[in-house]
Amino acid sequence: MSKITIPFYHPFIIMTGKRLSGVTAVALAGILMVVLMAAGCLGSQPSGSPASPSQQITVTGSTTVLPIAEKARETFEDRYPSTSVLVSGGGSSVGVRAVGEGTADIGMSSRDLKPEETGMYPGLVLHHIADDAILLIVHPENSIESLTLDQVRGIYNGTYTNWNQVGGPDLEIVVIGRDSASGTREFFGEYVMKKEDFIRSQEEFNSNGGIQQKVSRTPGAIGYVGLGYTEGVKQLNIEVDGNTIEPTLENINSKKYPITRPLYMLTNGEPEGAVKEFLEFIMSEEGQQIVASVDYIPLQG
Amino acid sequence: MKKEEAAAVQSGYPGWSGHFRREPEVPFARRGRHLTDLIVGKLLFIVALLAILIVFFIIGFLLRDGYQIVLEIGLWNFLAGMDWNPAGPTPSFGILPLIVGTLLVTALAMAIAVPLSMATAIYIAEIAGPRTKEVIKPAVELLAGIPSVVYGFFGLILLTEWIRILFDRPSGSSWLAGSILLAIMAIPTITSVAEDALSSVPREFREGSLALGATRWQTIRRVVVPGALSGITAAVILGMGRAIGETMAVLMVTGNAAIIPEPITNVFSPVRTLTGTLGIEMGEVAFGSMHYHALFGVAVVLLVITLAVNGLARFIIHRIQMTPARSRASGAFMQPVHNLIPVSLPRQAKRRVIHPRTTQRFAFLLISLGVVIVLAALGVILLEIIVNGAGAISLEFLTAPPSNLGREGGIFPAIVGTLYLVAGALAVALPIGIATAIYLIEYTADSRLTRGIRAAVDLLNGTPSIVFGLFGFAFLVLFLNFGVSLIAGQITLGLMILPTIIRTTEESLRSIPKSLREGSYALGASKWQTIWRVVLPPALPGIITGAILSIGRAAGETAPIMFTAVVFSSRYLPSSLSEPVMALPYHLFILTTSVPGADNQKFGTALVLLMMVLSIYLVAILVRRRYNRATVM
Repeated sequence: MSKITIPFYHPFIIMTGKRLSGVTAVALAGILMVVLMAAGCLGSQPSGSPASPSQQITVTGSTTVLPIAEKARETFEDRYPSTSVLVSGGGSSVGVRAVGEGTADIGMSSRDLKPEETGMYPGLVLHHIADDAILLIVHPENSIESLTLDQVRGIYNGTYTNWNQVGGPDLEIVVIGRDSASGTREFFGEYVMKKEDFIRSQEEFNSNGGIQQKVSRTPGAIGYVGLGYTEGVKQLNIEVDGNTIEPTLENINSKKYPITRPLYMLTNGEPEGAVKEFLEFIMSEEGQQIVASVDYIPLQG
Repeated sequence: MKKEEAAAVQSGYPGWSGHFRREPEVPFARRGRHLTDLIVGKLLFIVALLAILIVFFIIGFLLRDGYQIVLEIGLWNFLAGMDWNPAGPTPSFGILPLIVGTLLVTALAMAIAVPLSMATAIYIAEIAGPRTKEVIKPAVELLAGIPSVVYGFFGLILLTEWIRILFDRPSGSSWLAGSILLAIMAIPTITSVAEDALSSVPREFREGSLALGATRWQTIRRVVVPGALSGITAAVILGMGRAIGETMAVLMVTGNAAIIPEPITNVFSPVRTLTGTLGIEMGEVAFGSMHYHALFGVAVVLLVITLAVNGLARFIIHRIQMTPARSRASGAFMQPVHNLIPVSLPRQAKRRVIHPRTTQRFAFLLISLGVVIVLAALGVILLEIIVNGAGAISLEFLTAPPSNLGREGGIFPAIVGTLYLVAGALAVALPIGIATAIYLIEYTADSRLTRGIRAAVDLLNGTPSIVFGLFGFAFLVLFLNFGVSLIAGQITLGLMILPTIIRTTEESLRSIPKSLREGSYALGASKWQTIWRVVLPPALPGIITGAILSIGRAAGETAPIMFTAVVFSSRYLPSSLSEPVMALPYHLFILTTSVPGADNQKFGTALVLLMMVLSIYLVAILVRRRYNRATVM
């Protein structure tokens, strides 16, 4: 009976025989609390970041159009400090949906709207903001200089499997393309492939950069990318009616280079307020210079 | 004297009066306690049901967007169709190549990972001296902390290149590359669980075997490993679950061509997995199109496959556990002993050409080789990233927002965004997880309901992170109309780490001796008082370890936040929960795949992410070591 009066031990001492681990536990709980408190101060801005702007525009969608929006954002935010622009990628379809659903103010798309989309969001307005050229790229050591569009199609549908069949070295062709949800691939599929199926062993990447990296490291590879992705790879000339067209800015601007497509920003209804300001900024001369600076084709006139 | 004592007891420990039934008045405080007990019990019960609810929600929301594809093209054409060409002139949605790709990549990964992991586990548990063990064990566990996008980054830039040159192939993106990468990712999981199982085989078994004259290798092979079989099986299956569900690393290295390798053993063929398909196509697919529904169908198939693997695992472990513990132990012991006996028979001796010592030397050599390979893999990845990334780290890099598409400036918003995401995920998962675990351990016996809850938790545990991402997207972003936002990402990540927290909390609660609870009850404490004051405090280090491990996992994941929470870049920090954020893993993914000419920033981001996650893991390991040392084992 007398043992009952012994004071109730702290469980840690019973468990471990050491007081220390209790201290450790408390310390660790403290660390955890600090992390949680970091979440707690969500509302307040940590020092060092600019003051929170009063209005926000969200821009989301095509990764192809993203560099334009991103570059334009940097200048636009300097110009209009009261507005912050949030740019995110995700893809053309994400852009269309986000604007249609109202989760974003501006959508970006590298393709026209699909019938399902116009059916679901009848209020969408397309703003043509720039053009993009699609380049065919190969490894820098590949001796091939130019291809006709038919040859390109032949490579992508599996007719040609070795570079020597199209006037290149004796090297197996590694076909690299975009994923099947990509706007770039859709355009390429319609314009170059004339809706023929791609060869099934085509390796697929979900970004221009992925293709560029892959092609720059694979001697037999061919890929298609936007204008900005030419580092470490060799651009192919396209033969049109016996003329070799280099993918120079001049040729692309004059539309001599055959593979170009429009890029769009979308709004739900006619744009207003800050959204309108942002779109007007992109369409302005300064905005179009930004378009050119990130390797896209500015609108003519 | 006795009366005084009794009075002291009564006043100090009111509950004790339960033994003095004859006393008429029930203390008022006690009634209140009963009410508290009742309410807390009910509350915990409701929270625990959440786990089941979440599973149904996930399945429900995937089916909601996925069933149309089956209606449209038929179940057979969907599952057994040979052609995945959703954007072709005549779209086809056959996912057989994707299923085969997933199975092939996983199978080869396991073929690579299991021997290496077993070698490492055996080395750590049986061969290494205590000092070596102290170094190697945490090192292997750190491998588990490397975010998968970092592995993918490493794989895309180096591994595919090595394969292309070494085997002289036109392209290195292949089944083999995917499998090697997945193997490296699965090794830590398999090793640490298997090592636990090996270490828990009683010492006497080894001693008995050695006393019979068996060599150490014979003891390991015929006594220790068979004795730990159930744990090893669990380890392999856990690793397999991780491999099947992995998205980001795989999609960066397998080439993503939707074909079945020809011949089927051609490891250099590009393949495409179910997860990879979701990872690369989900973002761009037109909402509501057949392709969109097909992708949700793919997610359902992926979930079913992980379910099947999980179910198989539960079945195997259940069967192993069904054999009563004692007979299993002695069976595991006796059988090996029987195996040993013939060794001493002369007839056998004649046939035996190789001396057991030689076999042992050979086996230990192989094991050491395995350990060296594992450590080398860790070393190469870490070194590559540290050497290339160290140059990018500067004060500006850590404190400035990115500019020029991430080619310049820093990653400050991404660091903060990741912290917000992780903290929010913890705020969601910790209370729910701990409450569920308390309910499971303290409030219920083994009933159909608890089995249901546990099954749901296991299921969540095995659910691929990209499926969480898809669910978050379909439910939080679209259905609840949260939009791509911090809160959607926090909840998605919270759900993802919930099973880890439940499991680790359960484990640490279970390790609290029953006698402590009985002592507390005997002193008259109520159930809730016992849990709050007696059971939880010593379980805290275990719970914290679980929480820290979850932080590491949440910080490194890309797939769940890709569609729910992140933006490509943002100059400002989010000012409310409804805004999207930048996050380190996604930033790295984008820099790696979409921004040319950002090599420096790429490696720098990888390094920061790696350091962040590794230091979190390191803390977890230290906590556990301190805890383990302190407990009387």
